[in-house]
Amino acid sequence: MNLEKVVFGFFVVLAATLNFGFFLGDIDDPTVHNRYELFAAVVVNLIATVLKFGDRTQLGAVHLATSLVADLQLIAAALLLGYAAYISTAGLTASTTASIVSLSGGALLANLVSVVLLVVETASFHRG
Amino acid sequence: MGNPLLLVWWRLLAWDDDGRRTSRPPPPEVAVPHAEASAPVFLVLRRMRAPLIVLIVVFAVSVLGLTLVPGEDAAGRPWRMGFFDAFYFMSYTATTIGFGEIPYPFTPAQRMWAMASIYLSVIGWAYAIGSLLALLQDRAFRAALALQHVTRKVSRLGEPFLLVAGYGRAGELLGHALDRLGRRFVVLDHANERIDDLELDSFHADIPALAGDARDPGHLAVMGLGSPSCEAVVALTDDDEANLAVVMAAALLRPELPVIARATSAAMAERMRAFGSPTVVDPFDSYGDHLCLASRAPATYRLLTWLEGGPGAELPALGHPPREGRWVVCGYGRLGRSLAADLRAEGLAVTVVDPGPGRADEDADDDLVVGDGVDPDVLARAGVRTAVGFVAGTDNDTTNLSLVAAARRANPGLFVSARQNRPASAPLFAAMAVDTLLVPTEVVAREVYAQLATPLLWRFLREMPRQGDAWAAELVERLTALCGRHLEGLWTLPLTPRAAPALGSWLAGGDARLGDLLRNPDDRDRQLHALVLLVVRDGQATLTPGADFLLAPGDELLLTGWAAARRALTTTLTVDSVREYVVSGNRVPAGWLWRRLSRDTRAPEPAAGRRRG
Repeated sequence: MNLEKVVFGFFVVLAATLNFGFFLGDIDDPTVHNRYELFAAVVVNLIATVLKFGDRTQLGAVHLATSLVADLQLIAAALLLGYAAYISTAGLTASTTASIVSLSGGALLANLVSVVLLVVETASFHRG
Repeated sequence: MGNPLLLVWWRLLAWDDDGRRTSRPPPPEVAVPHAEASAPVFLVLRRMRAPLIVLIVVFAVSVLGLTLVPGEDAAGRPWRMGFFDAFYFMSYTATTIGFGEIPYPFTPAQRMWAMASIYLSVIGWAYAIGSLLALLQDRAFRAALALQHVTRKVSRLGEPFLLVAGYGRAGELLGHALDRLGRRFVVLDHANERIDDLELDSFHADIPALAGDARDPGHLAVMGLGSPSCEAVVALTDDDEANLAVVMAAALLRPELPVIARATSAAMAERMRAFGSPTVVDPFDSYGDHLCLASRAPATYRLLTWLEGGPGAELPALGHPPREGRWVVCGYGRLGRSLAADLRAEGLAVTVVDPGPGRADEDADDDLVVGDGVDPDVLARAGVRTAVGFVAGTDNDTTNLSLVAAARRANPGLFVSARQNRPASAPLFAAMAVDTLLVPTEVVAREVYAQLATPLLWRFLREMPRQGDAWAAELVERLTALCGRHLEGLWTLPLTPRAAPALGSWLAGGDARLGDLLRNPDDRDRQLHALVLLVVRDGQATLTPGADFLLAPGDELLLTGWAAARRALTTTLTVDSVREYVVSGNRVPAGWLWRRLSRDTRAPEPAAGRRRG
């Protein structure tokens, strides 16, 4: 067992699960989408991205790319949330919530690709 | 296998149709390590993982805490900070800008948390910046950076260049000579200090240099072995094995490239010649040849060393090594063996002095005196009193100097030759005024220079000994009368339509005399200060052709002379009116208008006709 692999797998999967948790629920209902969960998803995604830095294999490059996509989407969602809560006069409406959740849904897709890559990597690893 | 996805794909394909698709991929070409070129970025990313994660965690914990700690708004009602405000507060606090407490003054609980956040974030930043600075100082990182830098410089080198592996004394001498000629080269040496010296040295051109092992084909590839602009490879390291490795790499990866390598033994030279056809320079062997040439034809030898010295070299003194008699050679190492064999081949008797009794046992050598040459008794036994020549050829400069002194004391009339191993000993040998001095690195540098400078010079130097000593003496006379005692520049001139566009009709006329070409464009009664050393036509060489030599299109000329003469000659070659004046003495107008006018006065018919048509 390799501790580095454990940490790596942990963060990749946690990023996907947190993302999924935020995404779950009615798309335009702000009450079922917790902003703390979005915050946690952003932070864990950033950590997962940094963990993928510096890997020179092809697989590592795709890993990094998916994480960057997820970061981009989640940060866009967080910015949108901030705009709606602080700047917009209309506040957090149903349509803004839908945009935020759909952005996080995109990030969820990228995170799922990341998890698939992780599984492929593990499956193709052969001992000896 | 760094790529499991591809591996899976590959296997799937292989199962599909294992006849064709499992065939091996083609072998890579010269391994240009592109991955190495981007190494610094990966190094930074890899090393910065931990600091960046620490920063992210510090920020996340601080921001989360700020949103959770209870606060009060302006009216004193309970209030909690949002993520946006919390992140804003942390951003300016962590970067030590500090705008204060917003949007409402903090409660004591919030202040406590903010205080903890401040210390945490300062530690996080200090760690991240410290890691980055440490990385910049890191040796591995700097090496990766230098490699990338050199790779980029070499790949951008558009002009033809030479790859010089080994920048010792010989490499340095060669480098300066090439630089004076305006040739580009790149340098690979395993010693960091030599690369630093090179970077501090003053060259006209920018010399890409890398500290790396010449035995590694990857390093050779970085230095442009695979580049189409690379025109030759020179292996000058002080390690024969490394030189052999360079010869091998060049012969296997770029078989068409000319290779020049230094070797210090005949066996190594043979091993090198097994790979393609490298030119092997053996300083000891060529010194023996030079010494024999000097004793047989002193003027030829003088001319040879002068021309090999490169532009600016001073005319060497005419030596008079004895033609007959007995030589005493001290030191029967690589130099001693080679020299003794050469001298014996010339018909001279040789007595060898060597301290090691076992070293010369395989030679059926009667004239071997075992003992330390510094001992006067041993020198007496070797017969220094009756000898004509003496060679101090050990690999120790102190020993050589004392050998020279001892031999001179025993026999003041001796012709003394010595070997200088270290550059630092040069003043001592100069003060000793030995008759011929062997500096192996200089011999190598000169020979390699003569081969690389212009192909015609090398041709000339090889043809020259056949012309005889009197011819060489006369040529030295002519050269000194023309240009003085310092050698002027050498240049090659092909009489092609491209290089000499104005000569076409004159050359085709069949009466193109060399003497006419070398007239001064300002006053054709004076000759240019230039001398043609060699004319090559269809592979046939003519040395120092006279003024009546008839030139033909396609001839290649090797000239030496003043830079001004070279410029004047270029004018003759490219400007029709100048060529006309130089060759025939007719002043022809150069401008279009004057030519048109003068043609009208001289030959109105065709001009008028052309105008109508």
